[in-house]
Amino acid sequence: MVKLLGMLIIVLAGTLAGFNKARQFERRPQQIRELILVMQRLETEISYGFTPLPEALNKMGSQIREPLKSFFISAANDMNSSKGLTAQESIQQALSAHWKRTSMKDAEREVLHQLSFTLGTSDRQDQIKHIALAAQQLKHEEVAAREELDKYGRLSKNLGLLVGILVVILIF
Amino acid sequence: MNIDVNAIFQIAGIGIIIAMIHTVLKQMGKEDMAHWVTLIGFVVVLFMVVRMLDTLLQEIKSIFLFQ
Repeated sequence: MVKLLGMLIIVLAGTLAGFNKARQFERRPQQIRELILVMQRLETEISYGFTPLPEALNKMGSQIREPLKSFFISAANDMNSSKGLTAQESIQQALSAHWKRTSMKDAEREVLHQLSFTLGTSDRQDQIKHIALAAQQLKHEEVAAREELDKYGRLSKNLGLLVGILVVILIF
Repeated sequence: MNIDVNAIFQIAGIGIIIAMIHTVLKQMGKEDMAHWVTLIGFVVVLFMVVRMLDTLLQEIKSIFLFQ
């Protein structure tokens, strides 16, 4: 009886691990899309609204969903705080603090990292160009992420279940 | 006797599951990984068979060589 329970738990754990992996594949393109929308809104804020960067980031953060929301809000808070961090430092700090919670990979992180060097330091035209460049790169990543989802999404669920059953048979 | 039957079923189960994992990985386009999985499954089964063969040889030795 206990043995049966243990088997069930192992199979369940394998299946859940597979589902978790699949969900990460599903959420990556969504989050990249959100990031692209944020880039476009940021462009508007900078070119037409003349909004200061912390305020703009705060506004972006309050409009989107969770893992990215806390990233933008903490970046904005770091800029506003009395610690005297530059825009670049506060974005990079927010990246290292909140990136693990998103489903995105190093390529997108690198895009934001590159963007942080120019954001808030140069004139408007330059910043807008860099934001457009970042959005372009993110679009490429989104296409790649969708291809990956088609390829690996459903199969990783199967693989999780199969590995769970294999472990059960091996230690039976 | 009972244990032997169990072992055979276990080996058959490993074979089936490994074959399914191989197909899944092949569909994902990771053929090299699929071959590694097959190889590792083969080695695991080989170890189980070697252990059983060892007991068989010990039996034969104890019968014919009167240890």
